Amino acid sequence: MLHLVIDGINIEAKEGSTILEAATANGIEIPTLCYDKRVELYGACGLCVVEAEGIPKLLRACATKATDGMVINTKTPRVVRSRKVALELLLTDHDGDCKAPCSLACPAGTDCQGYVGMIANGEYKEAIKLIKDKIPMPASIGRVCPHPCEKACRRQNVEEPISIAWLKSFAADMDLKSDDVFKPEVAEATGKKVAVIGGGPGGLTTAYYLRIMGHDVTVYDAMPNMGGMLRYGIPQYRLPKEVVEREVQEIASIGVKLQNNVRIGKDITLEELRNNNAAVVVAIGAWKSSSMRAKGEELDGVLGGIDFLRNSVMNLPLNMGKKVAVVGGGNTAMDACRTAVRQGAEEVYVIYRRTRSEMPADDVEIEEAIEEGVEFKFLTNPDEIIGENGKVKAVRLQKMELGEPDASGRRSPVAIEGAFEEIELDTVIMAIGQYANLDGFEDLELTRKRTIAADESTFRTSLEGVFAVGDATNKGADIAISAIGEGKRAADVIDSYLNGEIVGYKKPYVVERVVSPEEYEAKEKAYRPHMPHLSPEERKHNFEEIVKGYSAEDAKKEASRCLECGCHDFYECKLIKLANEYDVNPARFGDNKHQRRSEQTHPYIERNPDKCILCGLCVRVCEEVMGITALGLIGRGFDTIVQPEFDKPLQSTECISCGQCVTLCPTGALREIQPVTKPVPAKEKETVTTCSFCSAGCQMKLKSVGNTILRAVPEGECSLLCADGRFGFGERQSVERKLGAKVNGETVSFDEAAKAINEAFSKYDASDIGVAISESLTNEEAEAAKKYAEEVLKTSNIFTYSTRKQGPRAAMGLGFSPKKHNEKFGEVALSSNANAKGLEKLGIEKSTDVFKAMFLVGEELPEGAKAEFTVKIGLFNDDADIFVPQSTFAETNGTVISADGKTLAIRKAVAPACETDTLTFIEKLMK
Amino acid sequence: MKIVVGQGSCGIAAGAGKIYDLIENANPSCELTITGCIGMCFVEPIVDIYDDEGKLKRLVRVKDSDAEKIVEAVEKKDLSIVDYLEISDEDNSFLTQQTRVALRHCGIINPEKIEDYIADDGYQAIEKVLKTMTPEDVIEEIKISGLAGRGGAGFPTWFKWNAAKQSTGDKKYLICNADEGDPGAFMDRAVIEGDPHNLIEGMLIGAYAIGASEAVVYVRAEYPLAILRLENAIKEAKEKGYLGNNILGSSFSCEMRIKAGAGAFVCGEETALIESLEGQRGMPRLKPPFPAQSGYWHKPSNINNVETFANVPWILLNGGNAFSAMGTEDSKGTKVFALTGKIKRGGLVEIPMGKTLRDVIFNIGGGIRDNAEFKAVQMGGPSGGCIPMSLIDTVIDYKKLGATGAIMGSGGMVVMDSSTCMVGMAKFFLDFTAKESCGKCIHCRLGTKRMLEVLERIVSGKGESGDIELLEELCVSIKDGALCGLGQTAPNPVLTTIKYFRDEYEAHINDKKCPAKECIDMVSYSISDNCKGCTLCARNCPVNAISGKVKEKHIIDTDVCIKCGKCYESCKFGAVVVE
Repeated sequence: MLHLVIDGINIEAKEGSTILEAATANGIEIPTLCYDKRVELYGACGLCVVEAEGIPKLLRACATKATDGMVINTKTPRVVRSRKVALELLLTDHDGDCKAPCSLACPAGTDCQGYVGMIANGEYKEAIKLIKDKIPMPASIGRVCPHPCEKACRRQNVEEPISIAWLKSFAADMDLKSDDVFKPEVAEATGKKVAVIGGGPGGLTTAYYLRIMGHDVTVYDAMPNMGGMLRYGIPQYRLPKEVVEREVQEIASIGVKLQNNVRIGKDITLEELRNNNAAVVVAIGAWKSSSMRAKGEELDGVLGGIDFLRNSVMNLPLNMGKKVAVVGGGNTAMDACRTAVRQGAEEVYVIYRRTRSEMPADDVEIEEAIEEGVEFKFLTNPDEIIGENGKVKAVRLQKMELGEPDASGRRSPVAIEGAFEEIELDTVIMAIGQYANLDGFEDLELTRKRTIAADESTFRTSLEGVFAVGDATNKGADIAISAIGEGKRAADVIDSYLNGEIVGYKKPYVVERVVSPEEYEAKEKAYRPHMPHLSPEERKHNFEEIVKGYSAEDAKKEASRCLECGCHDFYECKLIKLANEYDVNPARFGDNKHQRRSEQTHPYIERNPDKCILCGLCVRVCEEVMGITALGLIGRGFDTIVQPEFDKPLQSTECISCGQCVTLCPTGALREIQPVTKPVPAKEKETVTTCSFCSAGCQMKLKSVGNTILRAVPEGECSLLCADGRFGFGERQSVERKLGAKVNGETVSFDEAAKAINEAFSKYDASDIGVAISESLTNEEAEAAKKYAEEVLKTSNIFTYSTRKQGPRAAMGLGFSPKKHNEKFGEVALSSNANAKGLEKLGIEKSTDVFKAMFLVGEELPEGAKAEFTVKIGLFNDDADIFVPQSTFAETNGTVISADGKTLAIRKAVAPACETDTLTFIEKLMK
Repeated sequence: MKIVVGQGSCGIAAGAGKIYDLIENANPSCELTITGCIGMCFVEPIVDIYDDEGKLKRLVRVKDSDAEKIVEAVEKKDLSIVDYLEISDEDNSFLTQQTRVALRHCGIINPEKIEDYIADDGYQAIEKVLKTMTPEDVIEEIKISGLAGRGGAGFPTWFKWNAAKQSTGDKKYLICNADEGDPGAFMDRAVIEGDPHNLIEGMLIGAYAIGASEAVVYVRAEYPLAILRLENAIKEAKEKGYLGNNILGSSFSCEMRIKAGAGAFVCGEETALIESLEGQRGMPRLKPPFPAQSGYWHKPSNINNVETFANVPWILLNGGNAFSAMGTEDSKGTKVFALTGKIKRGGLVEIPMGKTLRDVIFNIGGGIRDNAEFKAVQMGGPSGGCIPMSLIDTVIDYKKLGATGAIMGSGGMVVMDSSTCMVGMAKFFLDFTAKESCGKCIHCRLGTKRMLEVLERIVSGKGESGDIELLEELCVSIKDGALCGLGQTAPNPVLTTIKYFRDEYEAHINDKKCPAKECIDMVSYSISDNCKGCTLCARNCPVNAISGKVKEKHIIDTDVCIKCGKCYESCKFGAVVVE
């Protein structure tokens, strides 16, 4: 044993171990991107460098033998600097999208690609889980969000963006409708109290996530109901109050306390809240309309857009008359004019000083307003509101023209001298901006814009323990999802504050790719499915919700259009993890990156040299472990690239699709082509089980999300899988699989099928019944089938056909490294079925006999054979009198016996795609 | 009488091949023979005539038309006929100031005749070793000599030999590194072309010392003549029993072969060289294990440079003490340098350690060509650094040179005058290392590339403030993090130019000016009133950018001008202005 000191800790290490091995064995992590114990030392990445006392050079921990008495430091400034520069240099030539542009564009960082992918795969629960990790009110947000995500969506290079927002409300509606509504896990109570002032999206979000972290949170709101602007600022036809209310309930259901009709400064003071809580969050929003600074604003009949909308929601008298003008070009202006239409106004105008193309409102809102009869007065600005007896009578409009672009890039309107127009009006609604009512918050320091000054990273205000988010802070009013994003980030910061050490939010580093529209030229066009919605006539006189939402079928179809921009290996990528750990800034070294991605046709493996960091693991594992040289290093210096020889397609090389290269790749440069509708980067559930493609008994890890298996990777000491094990799980979730039980072609329940089977067999003499049990079944399934045959069918005609002709590549010695194969299995003869040994042990022998009535458990009749009556439990071929779907090895728990006689566990990774698993069904038969 | 025509690559390049043929065709009655590089590349082609007393008359810068005269002089036994070709005393001092050990036979013997070598003490060292010394004795003698690796790193040779000897193994290899890749270096080539048997003998002694039965010479394929002469020498040595089984009747057997490298600079790094020998991609291996423990085919191997081996026979014949008597406390013996660049007398220089750079550049090399101003000398090629005028009296010794930021290196000495832009020079070498990086480690593959981009930016007038600091940061990181010597030393040209010529970097970045007027993006050509209208410049301009009538002032169209400098060179009135 060697004795050495690493980072001040005395450790022991085996004689001959390297510094890296010594550290790892003692739980000290030293980063590396090119080391793997199965291949020879390489030393390319240089991340494992450490300093040893008395040695002037940095040492590569992977290559340097530990010696007795060595004093090693793994985190000195020199070491950290060296690693950081190495990572930065790598990133200067690492091109891709860590996260999809939709997700990056979302102010709340919602994993849009993730949940869209989940929806495409039919994993609605997983979708809502992902969404609710960032947004507590997705049904509401999905309906009203101006969706910056869709503006960033690259699908628009093909035809139109994915309707990400609608898919969000689809997933949320599905969840709310289900009898198993998503509930986040709430941490144990911390005993820390937090007051949140304001029950709008920002406040509710902060409250929700703080509650999840176990804090005691109360939301105080001045209005009679929670929801803030979602409830009082957005009209019913866009967002029904019931939806908001339902989501507020969900927030309350995890223990967030809600108190309405509490106004700060009147009912309670900020100071009191500070005294009674460990932290206070100010999320009061912007509830005052900005002035137009036109003459006559004080007249009766001039009011703010949000005031008008609020009064409408609260059923307060509007007294707006018949002629209404709304001033402004944003979504609030559209909400106001369309509400005015619905509230019975006969003439509704929108006064906007620029043209339609400069309007900040969503296009669909403008279009629908026009459809509903709203008249747009573009290039006009209220010059004076003319009154009569203190009441609005008309407005005089100054005509404008567009001049030079201003700071925002929009062309600024310039008055045309002497050009005026007058329209008769009863009401003028100002919808040109909002600001916060800060009464009761006088103690807080403000910005120059007269908003609450809150630190961009910690959300701290000038008062200790008081944080602020949303429209009332810093740059002022913004869209709801921005407030939600701040709320979630603030919750994390406040949690750290409550735990004693405040940690500010830092935007994670990600690599982003610049794309050109040409990339998408060849892509087949597929437009969005039609969204059912009310016609102008159906909608203009009521407040019924216009958009009806997608059906599950349409939602899946729509979600399947996703181009999967974000890296599929984001959650496995070692590079991005280290990049963030070391706080990299690669931009200073320039960003002249290779663009060498090319079209590929390998059935299982996709290579993307743009993401390759040349760690050489793929090349080395292919050559050293598998004894194949499908990949090699080509070129020199900066232009070095990993390629098959002569740049042949990978499948034209010696490649056997073992996928070892993919497993070892530390980035997304090599990835599995996943046999699912929509491969999606996600945090996967891992289930260790035994591969069932042959009797080798290889251990594997199934990686799944919900009930979708995304990948199968080798596990354990041997760490090898052949192409079947690595990529063959696709057949388990293939669309070809038959999932319904059938009696004489009619679909029935499993119970009905069981009854029919027992009835049918009872008509046969026991000696006429044969039971064929497949060697691909688990011990438990086979045993149950045998027991059923013996005890219920009373037959002794129990055997196996083992009809599976296409043996797995491992057993055949094809497609599997012959070298490794022999090393592992020696002379053990492999069977092409997983559990031949298990059946042998159960005394089930091979046979080709066919009886009058056959019960085929995972089996097929021998070729050409016919039986009078057949019952089949199977996967694909439902050609039988009675057919019951079989569960797969990924859907069941049990054991198999490998060729070398080991009993190995089969573990359930996903729920059976059919009604129940095979074992449960056989047990059903026994009853 | 004997006529000897210098037939090193340098001489052949200067036309010595044809001269030899012309003389041969004239059928002289005396012996006509060849020799390797004499070292005086600046006066090639060289023809040496030995009179009957064996006195040498050296004829230099010989032209084809002189061949007849040479034969006439020999036939008439009147060498005064060719007096006009005889080397001047001044030029001859280039040689007389040298002390030759590794090059002692170069330019004297016929490298294609083993008899010549044998006649000049050849194979006496190996005979002595095999008959009177144990391997331990040999290593001890080398230890006494203080011989250090001449490939650049300067590691004690005895130590490597001893480590390889101590390693257990049924098979050991001795490898000669002749992959001389530094731009401007040609010491090893001269040794192989001029004295291949000396290398073979040195290697045999090394093989005996470490217990190797197989020796390989890794020569770059760009040295075809060296390969040819070495092949011939190996064949001759085998025939004479100096190679093969039971050499000189002893129990020592050793085979030798040549492996031609494919031209990757990094293969000069010993572990990359081994990979290449094994048929793998030339990429360095991690050290440890060192080749002495696990090298070629994972067997104990010893690798030395050509020049190192070339010193060995002399040491064994004359004793380690004789070798260590030359040089300084830290560096023993002699060192060969390839003197090139803006030097008056370029060629091979072998001097005892301890002389100064001034001795080499100004006394032996005769100073700067065209009497221009000395600016700096680049030592050690792309792995080395530059040394400015202020340090011209630096003593040639591993430590002293290292202290300047440059290195001894393998012996490349590129001399620069005031017309050389130091940023451009750094860029040149970095371009070389970036291209020659094997691509394995991050620091070298990407670090040198990013440094090169910064340098390219600076020389094209797009440098930004902070670029020097960025370069320095990258330099430090690459030195610390790169896997092999190539990467670790790649920043040296940049570090030393920043250290000694920071003002030039600043001029490029801040003033967008190249003080040496070499960076074409920062200079413009114009014609001043000195122009006499001789039209010479216009006629020399390759892109017809100059117009003007005879006897009138000419004008350069700067849109068309490619800044090649032809006009500047051709103008006899100094009228072309470069700014």
